[in-house]
Formats: sequence, C-alpha cells, structure tokens
Amino acid sequence: MIEIKNDRYYAETHEWILFEDDIAYIGITDFAQSELGDIVYVESEEEGELFEQGEIFGSVESVKMASDLYMPIDGEILEFNEILADEPELINEDAYENWIIKVKVTNPDQQNDLLGVKEYQAVIDEE
Amino acid sequence: MKQTLLYESHQKLNAKMVDFAGWNMPLQYTGIKDETLAVRKDVGVFDVSHMGEIFVSGKDAAEFLDYILSRKISDKNPALTNYAFLCYEDGGVVDDLMVYQLNPELFMLVVNAANTEKDFAYIQEVLADFPKKSGVLVEDRSDIYGLLAVQGKDSLEPVQDALANVFPDLGLVSKLEELKRFRQMHLPLEEALLIISRTGYTGEDGYEIYIPQKYVVSLWDSILESGVKPCGLGARDALRLEAGLVLYGNEISEQINPIEAGLTKFVDLNRNFVGSKMSETYRYKIIAIKATDRSIPRENYKVFYQGEQIGKITSGSFSPTLNKGIAFALVSPELPDDAKTVQIEVRRKQADFLITETPFIQF
Repeated sequence: MIEIKNDRYYAETHEWILFEDDIAYIGITDFAQSELGDIVYVESEEEGELFEQGEIFGSVESVKMASDLYMPIDGEILEFNEILADEPELINEDAYENWIIKVKVTNPDQQNDLLGVKEYQAVIDEE
Repeated sequence: MKQTLLYESHQKLNAKMVDFAGWNMPLQYTGIKDETLAVRKDVGVFDVSHMGEIFVSGKDAAEFLDYILSRKISDKNPALTNYAFLCYEDGGVVDDLMVYQLNPELFMLVVNAANTEKDFAYIQEVLADFPKKSGVLVEDRSDIYGLLAVQGKDSLEPVQDALANVFPDLGLVSKLEELKRFRQMHLPLEEALLIISRTGYTGEDGYEIYIPQKYVVSLWDSILESGVKPCGLGARDALRLEAGLVLYGNEISEQINPIEAGLTKFVDLNRNFVGSKMSETYRYKIIAIKATDRSIPRENYKVFYQGEQIGKITSGSFSPTLNKGIAFALVSPELPDDAKTVQIEVRRKQADFLITETPFIQF
C-alpha cells in the first residue's frame, strides 16, 4: 500500500513538504520511492543557494532510472541530509522519515499552491 | 497486452509489472539490487516465456541457416548452442538469437520477444528467393513453448529437483549432471520437445528450460519451492550489462552491425551469407566504460573526448555488483585505441569514465 501522510503537503512531481514555522523539510513520497525502486544515489544543489518554486534542486537515482527533484516552493537550501549520501536506500525504507533538504521558506503564501492528501491521492491514482 | 502463463504467479508474488514490447512482464519482485545479487551469489529464476521460438526444418534447413545467419551452423558441434545474428543485406541486424540443432534437419532459433514477428516475416521473405526453398519449413512455435531461466552457481540442484518433480519418469537428474556449459539436451514430450541448455544471459552458470506451456506453472512452482529467488527483467538487464552482453536495439540494431559492435567472433566471414557486406562499413564502435565517481550513466547521455562529442550511451546502469555506474557507448571509430578515459554529461556536468574491458565483473 502506498502511504500518504496527512501532516504535510505534496507537489504533483511527487515531493512532500513539511512546514515548521518558516523552515520546511522536503523529501520524496512513498509513491515516488516505490516507482523508482532501489535508490542508489541522492544529491542536492549547494547549501545557501536560492531556488524558485518548480526549479530543479537535486536528483535521485535508482538502479534503473534518474529523476530530478523540484522545489515545491521558493526557498533557500539550509541543509542536505548527509546521511543519504552514504545510505540513499533509507528513502526506500521510509520516504517520509528521511527528508532530503531543509529549506528556509521565502514565500509562505505558496503553501496555497500545494496539494493536500486527497489531491495528491488523485494525482497518483491517475498514474 | 500479451502475458505469459505465469502472469497470475507474478501477481501473487506482488511483482511490479511493466510493458515490455507488448508483453506485461515482471520488472521486479523485491528489488533489482537484491535480485541481481541473488543471481551473482546463489541462484535466481526468470520467466522469459515471452521470447520467440522459430523452428526451421527440412533437408535443406542447415544450408538455409548457413545462408541467413552470421555463423556457419553446419560446421558447429550440434551439442552446442550458438549465438548468431540474423542480418539484412547491408549487415544491419534484424535480431540476435540462439541456435539449437535438435537433429540434422531440425533447428530452433530463440529470438527477442519484440522481434519475433519481424524475424519470422523476414526469414520467410529470404526463403522465398532461396533456390532450395522446397526443402525448408519455417514455423513460429512461440505459442507452444514457455521458457524459464535458472541462473547462478547454485542452479543445478534446484533444476534437477524441479524437473524430477514435474517429470519423475524422464531420468533427467543424471542427464543434467552430464550437461556441460553452453550445451543443450532435448527429449520428446508429447507433441513437442523439452529442451534444456546450460546457457543464459547473466554471465553465470545456469540453465534455460524450454517447456510446453501446460507444464510452465508447475515447473515454476517447483523451482520456487527449492528456494530459488524469482527475478524480473530489471535484474536481467543489470546482469547482462555487468556481464558485458549486448542488447538488441541498443548495442546492435538495423544501424549498428556486429563488427561495429565488436562482435566479430560471432560472424563467420569470407563466405556467402546475407549480411556479409557488414565488413565494408565501419561507422562507429561500441566501447565499455565505468564510472570513476558516483555518476550513473544512462541511455542517450552524451559522450565526449577531448572536448568534442563523439557519441552517446547505448545502455547504462548502476551495477549492483560493483556499486558503480557502468555502460556501453556508441562512439566515433576515430576514438584512438589507446584512449583511457571519456567524459559523460551527467545532468549538465561532465564526469570522467574509464574505458574498460568486458565483462565488467570477474567471473
């Protein structure tokens, strides 16, 4: 079963975003990890860089495919989850526990553009 | 979409299914990594029943095959399975295939699932102009046979157990004991044949079992009961690449002939056969490369040498056995033979890759 958590928001490109005040954690969904299969590499752009909503901030690769990661909102990368550099397979084990980047949110209004659980469920039902 | 007789078995195992050349096939069961490693360390089983079986028979069948295939089959030891190419006049590849001599007037060609219909039509077309066509019969028997591949160093025992379980009266245990690498054995089974060869597409020891379809499910179940891990097409592709084996449509195709792909040893030149003109062209070459960092090469990524684009990746993957990226690339023949590295554009950055020998892994 594909899990969708109700404590966070989603993007159509299968990232999740969990807000904590003006900070947010971004990762990929359970559906995304399941589609990718065995994840063998995760990378992100440099800490301190600013990205706009929809820009590519990194990538995740499995044995069989490479996939870009898109910013669900505008923000500055504060931290890459270094543990994923050595153990990218943790995302397969728990996609919601293992965030990829921590960002400083620069445009909180964009929260309204994101998908809730039902809307994201509809996105994966279509795929 | 077409499916094999094991479709329900795959579903029960929660396989992730994928459309492969019009067939709904298992991509993976538990994961490409652990399936690949199971075959490398112990044993795994693949349902490859989608592959095509084209039978060529008659008193002039051997002569016809000599004419349409890249190898002079009539010269070969009939106990061996031979890898060969079916080519167009210019040497472009229609398909790569395995040839089984079942008796001096009966041969089985095992072809890629995606190409079965094309191959069959092409062989008929060449036959129509063959002087001794009345002595040759070509039949597509893909619907009669299922095919299971048991691969890995621990293959023998589960294959013996499973076949003894399904066919207790055929004395297969001792016959399998005697079957050497790359050889085949066969015996009549009702209206068809049971064909077993000690071959595969992984580089490992193992067996390929061609079996009339009504026995496929019970053979599959018996093999799984022996503790063999079911493996999907994802692992199959990773395994064949690690073993340095080419894939039709990637390293060989209508545009890339066997000599360009570095497969001259599977071509008996200097004789009259369809495709003998392949030695007249040398438009590209295929090289094998491996990553020097964590970059993973993927199909169609660009390849550079001294700042110039010289080609592209034809097959690329993360190698679960080596824990790094490996690939085949199609490049200009002008790339010097003593070149050591090329660069691959991986997501807008260039990464160094070492030119290497195949197979990528040690057996």
